[in-house]
Amino acid sequence: MAETPLPETRRCIYFFLYDRSKVQEEGDLTRAGICYFYPEDTPLDQQELLCGQLAGVSRCVSELSSSPVRLLRLRKSKYAVHMRDNFLWVLSCVADIPDVSVCAFLDQLIDLFCFYNGPVRQSYQLHSQEELALRWACYLSNLQGGSTELHHIFSCLKTIDSTHIDPLLLLKAALILQACQRCPLVLAGCVLYRGRVVSTQMAPELTVKVMVHETETYSQDHRLRANGVTSGVSPPSSTVTTTVFLTPSELHTLHCPPVDNSCRSNGGPQPLARPRKSRLSRTLSDTPIADQDPAELDPAHFPPLSYQTLPSSPRSSLSDESCFSPSPSLVSTPLRSSLVSRSEGGTPPESRDRGLPNGTLPSKVTGGSVGGSSGVSVQEGERLDLESETKNPSENPEVCSLLNGHRSEQDDFSHQLSESLAKLGPVNDQSSGRSGQGGETERNQAKESKETGGEAARDCGAHSEASLQPMLLYQHRVRGLVLALLVEPSFNTHPSAKDEVYHSSLASLNGLEAHLRTTSPGTPGAQGPYTFAHYDCIQNTLTTNVCGRSAGSQDRPFVKATALLHSHFSHSDTLQEAIVRNAGCAVYGTRTAAQETYFLQQGASSRNSGIPNAQDSAFSLPSKARHRLLKHGVNLL
Amino acid sequence: MSSKSSLLKVILLGDGGVGKSSLMNRYVSNKFDTHLFHTIGVEFLNKELEVDGRLVTLQIWDTAGQERFRSLRTPFYRGSDCCLLTFSVDDSQSFLNLNHWRKEFAYYADVREPESFPFVILGNKVDVTERQVTTEEAQRWCHENGGHPYFETSAKNAINVAEAFEEVVRSVLASEDRPEHMLPSDTVDLCRKPRSRTRCC
Repeated sequence: MAETPLPETRRCIYFFLYDRSKVQEEGDLTRAGICYFYPEDTPLDQQELLCGQLAGVSRCVSELSSSPVRLLRLRKSKYAVHMRDNFLWVLSCVADIPDVSVCAFLDQLIDLFCFYNGPVRQSYQLHSQEELALRWACYLSNLQGGSTELHHIFSCLKTIDSTHIDPLLLLKAALILQACQRCPLVLAGCVLYRGRVVSTQMAPELTVKVMVHETETYSQDHRLRANGVTSGVSPPSSTVTTTVFLTPSELHTLHCPPVDNSCRSNGGPQPLARPRKSRLSRTLSDTPIADQDPAELDPAHFPPLSYQTLPSSPRSSLSDESCFSPSPSLVSTPLRSSLVSRSEGGTPPESRDRGLPNGTLPSKVTGGSVGGSSGVSVQEGERLDLESETKNPSENPEVCSLLNGHRSEQDDFSHQLSESLAKLGPVNDQSSGRSGQGGETERNQAKESKETGGEAARDCGAHSEASLQPMLLYQHRVRGLVLALLVEPSFNTHPSAKDEVYHSSLASLNGLEAHLRTTSPGTPGAQGPYTFAHYDCIQNTLTTNVCGRSAGSQDRPFVKATALLHSHFSHSDTLQEAIVRNAGCAVYGTRTAAQETYFLQQGASSRNSGIPNAQDSAFSLPSKARHRLLKHGVNLL
Repeated sequence: MSSKSSLLKVILLGDGGVGKSSLMNRYVSNKFDTHLFHTIGVEFLNKELEVDGRLVTLQIWDTAGQERFRSLRTPFYRGSDCCLLTFSVDDSQSFLNLNHWRKEFAYYADVREPESFPFVILGNKVDVTERQVTTEEAQRWCHENGGHPYFETSAKNAINVAEAFEEVVRSVLASEDRPEHMLPSDTVDLCRKPRSRTRCC
């Protein structure tokens, strides 16, 4: 377990899962409630201290504020918190990782566990703590291991370096997946090579989950090989199927792939049982049908509402969050009223969140949250040199204009929402139509309210977890190459499904593996006098010329500035461009709904007088970035 | 030694659409799919069989016929023990291109003496009624170009496919009947050199 994370890439300091239901009476020991604690060699006293304190604080705050706690910030450390059912997860990270990344990390971790083990309560009934401790450790090490700090900041997928392989091979991988989809009971899949994504048909957050199993089996395989079990005449290839658990929304997306990938994680939770028919290409032939499908006219499908600009929330497990559903009255709060109260800080978070159509809130930049970036700039106020086109300061006009754009849809939506709620009755039904949207808003709400909590639905987690659907994960490995497919549960019992998939993909997998193996890893290339990072929020991928797992000392300021800017972008929806600088260098950041780009020009003499000045070299950064990055396929025009 | 399975790498070359992938699938999985994608680069399947009492593993490499995939497929020519030049009997151009394919193979596989290298010629799609290439034409070409064996096959109707591949094994074994060729796959490349040297002396 412990071999993957190297000390310097460890981003998790503490992680624990605490079961409050085990500690009810005065006499109950705190240790009885500790299901898992990382690092495992922490003295029990210390574990109890931390768990006891944080559980108390979280509960207290959430009850006072009636909304869930997402982040607790102490003087020197911060803790991402997730409360569901009687469980409390807490994760503490190194300080210079942005808030959004810490929260995303914790969410990923919990999602991973549920993906492979099903509902948490049930897992702890079925398996021993020791057994599950191994799994937590495994997921932790998987999420931490093998990627750079930049990857951690964005919580992004590890992809194959596409600059060094023939694009036709990417096409080949995509065709393999399409061929598999023509086979019965296959939903979607991905092709991985040595722990990196070559091609995927699934949403990024689902791909991440699938990859964990791949990495596990790969390292096992590797160990075997290293121990003298050499490859025989034929390439070692094997297939495995394991049970995995999908959230209703994930399942829904798989059953009817969205026209627009950006709508991921927003599908209505009820799985639409589409008749499966054979087809040539899912992407082509099925899309128009999906478009017209009346069953899909679900409130959760309004594009402006579902569009996520927060890369930090690549979560599709709506169910996880639905335990903090606000009461129906709050959900159906007329939008206008929430608008009125928006400008004031004291707005209750529930109503604030209804505000923006795109699901995020243009809150004020909270600079304190990204402390510790000493290398970059000193004063909070000076951190952001906003470009003239960056409309920032007054929020209200913006909000209004945004809302005007979508008013009819909003009204429509809130109407439908209240209607469906009325039908559903009490808050935490297995309300399919609503919980999707509920999860959405809660997520934002969670982002917003740092230290709040909700008594509202303490015990609804059971519902949401019970809705996890068991499916099968099929894996076919050819040396370092893995084909991973999510398939219907009946796949194993179907007379020919497995054979069909196997035979339709074997030759191509053999070939692709041979191609990838003989592709030279490629030299890092001439790095150029600049550093950049380009994050694709939709595919959740990162392109960068910062190489290696440990960024060199010259890259440190860049990584820190990127973390800082990413954090600001995630907090402020209207922020589009920013320059962050210190005496030595300046980093330019720009983002759209679909991407974020960060750029640093090296060796530029900084003509920086300290006051805004048209001659300032920092102002030439945007145009430099545009030109330089074109050849990396990044278009900022 | 003879009881040990040896790996023979054979490679299918020919114009796009003549049925190389289908031939491989028919032979190995006994399946035929009319809706196959274009092959991109190379693919391969293994098949174990016994020919004349000898157990061999045939590693059949299927390649992309289209010109644009050339750079992807050519690195994999090396180390082949036999080359199956394939054309379609309903497409005379694919037949005329056999020369080109033979040259390309000899060049990239670094074959010292193409004349003595085991080629097998396959005229596929004999199930199609409108032929453009007659059996006589094909046989003449094979005769004039080194006396290679010629098979008329149909992957669709499973005609002559197994026979052709068995002949491949025979012709490889006949030309390479030496103990060093019974070594496992990883050493096939190395074995090639000594063989051609002994041949030319």
